[in-house]
Amino acid sequence: MVDASIPMSAARASFLDVWLARVWRLYPIFVMLAVWEAIAHSGLISPLLLPTIEKVAQEFWQMVVSGDLVFHGSITLQRALIGFASAIVAGIIIGTALARVKIISRILEPVFIFGYPIPKISLYPIFIFIFGFGDMSKIVLVFLECLYPITIQSMYGMRNAERVLVWAAQNAGSSNARLFWRVLVPSAAPAIFAGIRIALPISMIVTIITELIGESRGLGYVVAFASASFEPARAMAAFVAIAAIGFCFDRSLNWLRQKVIYWQADAPSLT
Amino acid sequence: MSDQTANLEQVMPEAKTAFGDQRGIGILVPLAILVGWELCGQFGLLPRYIVAPSKIIATWWEMLSSGELIGHVGSSMFRQSLGLLFGASCGTIIGVLAGMFGPIGRFYEPLVSLIYPVPKVAILPLIFAWFGLGDLSKIVVMTISIFFPTYIAAYHGAKSVNKIHLWTAQNVGAGKARLIRQVVIPSALPDIFNGLRIGLALSFVLMVTTELVVSTKGLGYVIARAEENLRFDRMYAAILTIAILGFCADRLLLKIREYFLVGQLMSKDRGHG
Amino acid sequence: MSQSARIVPISSGISRPPQTTSEPLLRVESLTKTFDRKGTRVIALDNFNLNVDDGEFVAIVGPSGCGKSTFLHMLGGFESVDGGTMSLNGQKVTRPGPDRGMLFQEYALYPWRTVLGNVMWPLEVQNIPQTERTEIADKFISLVGLTHFKNHYPNELSGGMKQRVALARLLALNPKILLMDEPFGALDAQNRELLQEELERIWDTSRKTVLFVTHDIDEAIYLADRIIVFTARPGRIKADIRIDLARPRAMEIKKSPAYTEYRNHIWDLLREEVLRAREEYAS
Repeated sequence: MVDASIPMSAARASFLDVWLARVWRLYPIFVMLAVWEAIAHSGLISPLLLPTIEKVAQEFWQMVVSGDLVFHGSITLQRALIGFASAIVAGIIIGTALARVKIISRILEPVFIFGYPIPKISLYPIFIFIFGFGDMSKIVLVFLECLYPITIQSMYGMRNAERVLVWAAQNAGSSNARLFWRVLVPSAAPAIFAGIRIALPISMIVTIITELIGESRGLGYVVAFASASFEPARAMAAFVAIAAIGFCFDRSLNWLRQKVIYWQADAPSLT
Repeated sequence: MSDQTANLEQVMPEAKTAFGDQRGIGILVPLAILVGWELCGQFGLLPRYIVAPSKIIATWWEMLSSGELIGHVGSSMFRQSLGLLFGASCGTIIGVLAGMFGPIGRFYEPLVSLIYPVPKVAILPLIFAWFGLGDLSKIVVMTISIFFPTYIAAYHGAKSVNKIHLWTAQNVGAGKARLIRQVVIPSALPDIFNGLRIGLALSFVLMVTTELVVSTKGLGYVIARAEENLRFDRMYAAILTIAILGFCADRLLLKIREYFLVGQLMSKDRGHG
Repeated sequence: MSQSARIVPISSGISRPPQTTSEPLLRVESLTKTFDRKGTRVIALDNFNLNVDDGEFVAIVGPSGCGKSTFLHMLGGFESVDGGTMSLNGQKVTRPGPDRGMLFQEYALYPWRTVLGNVMWPLEVQNIPQTERTEIADKFISLVGLTHFKNHYPNELSGGMKQRVALARLLALNPKILLMDEPFGALDAQNRELLQEELERIWDTSRKTVLFVTHDIDEAIYLADRIIVFTARPGRIKADIRIDLARPRAMEIKKSPAYTEYRNHIWDLLREEVLRAREEYAS
């Protein structure tokens, strides 16, 4: 009766099979691209509105060669990342203060709780007036939009540290500093990451929006300018670059999350 | 049985007063800031781009009583609510179906995970080229953007229905239609509401954004024009209106959520016995 | 060994209930179940046979992981069958159905429905008219003593009350056989005893066929007419024991010598299996 478990005799899937299965999973993307290509070639829709995929690829390549892509891309990236990074720092500090310092929470909490559903983008014209048309007004707006989710999630995370964990640490005689770094920070980490995860796409969205509204640099500007001058292929090429940045942001954050919060299973996600 | 009744009574008020305290003091500090702001305005200490609260309220009242504001609110909310309606209903319905039926889920999965992290608002200029500068383009952009968060929330909700709940329904002999209507949707509802809340916030952001880019009417238009004419009072009046609308819509959604999730929002399992 | 206890040790793995003349209500023949765990095939049930007569209260005990819950889930139609057959009333079991009502350890109440709504739900599915529905539901809610709470939501109730609601719902479904999967396993000791008493009382009046999976020997002896002891994995029948204790049974019966006799015997059987399972685990 010792051998209740016998090894699976069924063949282990080969490396190639695994990859084929992965590619096969992506079939809807190819379907969509094929539909696009078919419509573009059929001549039903003017190429001024719907260019073929080759044309878009060609434009993309041209932007790479001419250096436009790197130029505009780096500007967009810079704005998004500076705003986002400073929001992380400020958000975690403010969130922690809201959770642990009573006075601050009484003063600031209403600002964050009630201000949350209000679109901060409506303040953009005022920022333009204060900071000018350049990078600063955009970075400030990105910062402000990203600040809210990160602050609120950090606050909840720091507040909801499990009482038992805190008691256990106090019982073991740990100092306050130790308690903070070894117990509160790790137990708040998943919530903080949740806030960062909400904020990351917002940083790109807000950057693009500000570039659409009034600017002469950045990928958002390229899309707006190319569309206005009826060069949809170029607009789409710029959109592909924006999409790639957004996608890479998301992936790198997921990767980072698994490294930092290794003890928790991945948050619900589609992939 | 009597100890259980007592237990129940102890539990109930706790749930009701969880948010009750410290609100009074929370109001005092912003009030002080407001008074200081007003006083600075009265003494002319504010830079041009910051307007005293009394002036904002006066302009706001003027715009409201002249009927001008109502027109802009109507125009903005018309687009916002249609975009939200289309985006959220497509996202929720397809999300639930994708969570229930494997092939649908497998079809949307790569598309959604590819497009979800992309800032979709960037295609706004292309949409303008396709559908013109009017309402339609704006509604289309909102629909596309709102589809994704609501889809993901509904998909996740329908996917993570408690297995035991499904078994119970099968055990009783419930058919597929009843299963979806009476088990899958109710248990996905908390997730669906989370998605709707994100979608609602997004719809307001896009409402303002699309109007700041191109518009002839609406609150974003008021802001853009006021900026050109340096009428900061009108600008703040419009921002105030957007803030009120955004806040009230969010609270309304939370109220609706409370109504629908009455059983699910109650204090979770109070231990055993 | 007390004379009244008729213990049938089983070596072949085939149970022989005393009355084999009439067709049993439930007939399980050479049932097999395997599943994959990290690339190795684990045999949960191996050539498992069982007959249950109409009106019998059968408890299944065994070491954890012996496949007793899996068996119940298969009989419920929720898990696939890898070999063998099960038939209820001569009809083959292939999928879930209202003739086999299930009571889960996790209560499985719908949190969006009130107590009344939960109990009415099976009647709703069976398209029973509204007035009749309420009447039947009210009857079973009062049977489990929750009339005061019928408009409450499950999340307002304690674990013991929730399981009472689930029991009322199960009775409202009115199945041919009741399948109970460690129904009181999540409750504290006091509530478990209360619910055992209540179940005994209710069962005594209705005499429905019950298959009751538990790891609690006392619970099994107190409630059942017959106890099936499972071996460690793969699950087979180690012993099929008839419990001849008079009904209705009060809690005091747990102090009687006959009861102690049963308890010691089953305890020895289980101990052997638990030790064997542990040995296997270590190797």
